[in-house]
Amino acid sequence: MVISWRTRLHIWFRLLLLQASWNFETLQGIGFFYALLPGLKKLYGKEDLPEVSLKYIGYFNTHVYFAPLVAGAVLRLEEERVSGTVVPEVEIDDFKEMVAAPYAAIGDAFFWGGLRPLAAGVALFFAVKGILWAPLIFILLYNIVPTWIRTVFFSRGYYQGLKSVEFIQRHKLPDLAIHTKEAAVVVLGGLSAFMVFAQLTQHQLPSWLGLLTLIPMVMLGLVARKGFSTLLLVIITVSTIFLLGLFWADVIQLITF
Amino acid sequence: MTFSLTLGALVSLICGLDRVAILQMMISRPIVAAPLTALFLGEPLVGLQIGVMVELLWLARLPVGAAVPPDDTQVAIASSVLAIVLGQIMDASGTELLLLCLFVAVPLGKFGQYFDRYARQYNVRLVKQVSAALSRGSFLTAEGQHLRGLVSFSLSSLGTYAVIILGGWFIIPILWPYVQQPLSYSSSWMQLAFPLVGITVILGTINVSRAITLFCAAFCMSFLLMWLV
Repeated sequence: MVISWRTRLHIWFRLLLLQASWNFETLQGIGFFYALLPGLKKLYGKEDLPEVSLKYIGYFNTHVYFAPLVAGAVLRLEEERVSGTVVPEVEIDDFKEMVAAPYAAIGDAFFWGGLRPLAAGVALFFAVKGILWAPLIFILLYNIVPTWIRTVFFSRGYYQGLKSVEFIQRHKLPDLAIHTKEAAVVVLGGLSAFMVFAQLTQHQLPSWLGLLTLIPMVMLGLVARKGFSTLLLVIITVSTIFLLGLFWADVIQLITF
Repeated sequence: MTFSLTLGALVSLICGLDRVAILQMMISRPIVAAPLTALFLGEPLVGLQIGVMVELLWLARLPVGAAVPPDDTQVAIASSVLAIVLGQIMDASGTELLLLCLFVAVPLGKFGQYFDRYARQYNVRLVKQVSAALSRGSFLTAEGQHLRGLVSFSLSSLGTYAVIILGGWFIIPILWPYVQQPLSYSSSWMQLAFPLVGITVILGTINVSRAITLFCAAFCMSFLLMWLV
């Protein structure tokens, strides 16, 4: 029995709602069941379906963009189980458990830790210049890879089943995540320099002063590494600037007086 | 005014859902959500300025597993609405007003984290309901329960938006006459500080060996290039 492309498309769209019922007990469990339901309905009769479905609503958590890959592979395994032509090498539950956590770790590092800061850094160059297309640039830059992964990996998962794991291994995504993060750091360095330079030019201050910005930035970075909250760092920085501004205004007033 | 607040609430709802529950196309990022809100209210540049200031602040807080980062989406949207609507009411404008709106919205954004956590906690009861529905063989009910989770996330987003708007509505008009002048001495530097603090937090938390070396090299290189050109 083969799941038609229409049903697979239906499942793909449902995967966009994977986290609609995200909860602290089963995380994406219900969402994963919800997405797969059209496929399960094609494979199982009314008698078996409730029992099979109950297995799917348990704990499940992976990266949201990698869920289609897992869903595709699970569909293939379900097909094989129902048809009985191939004896699956592992149980479907075990497979889900085996791949979900590593895929989540890869996805978190690549998308949240690398691609998002990188796309934001590039878009902010435009935003700082006052270009109103900056949000669109961010959306386009960021979404190319996730859309490709959601679509192509779902298809790969379905056609390759268990072998989709090898497909992921071949792409060396953890290495790519590190390179993306490095690129993000470089872009953010350039962005910082650009903003500081623009500020100094606007205030007609000597440009070399901008290099001194690195000192508080590196210090704050080290403080952040110790676990200090962003809110606290914002309060400290803004209060310091505010007080220095008041002090400087008083100095100017005294000089002109 | 009511129309603007309602429009803001609508954007807050859609972007809030994109944050966790549906799509994850990143329209919930401040750099998108704030200009989008401001565009609907007729002042897109205000939103763009707020987006630049908020975007990088909590970008380093990853939504990994059960971790819930602060709700920067609602901070950006509500700040934009407050800056535009209160600006019209108080006949005020400029970076100082944007900064004051952000100073009020950023701490109140903490509520977003609590509301989001509560929504996820509330959704736990859906597990039992879905399980019961499946045992009865009622698949339609089970699917409906999954979609009911969207209500929790919607209410969480709207709740955060409402808290920031209400807080700002009471606090900003009282503070504005006192802080307008003092803020003007340092407003442009504060505007620069927001993204820079965000970058330092990313730098401190990003898991890359030699991140600081790479950052400093990129900073100096870009700076020298701009200086020479």
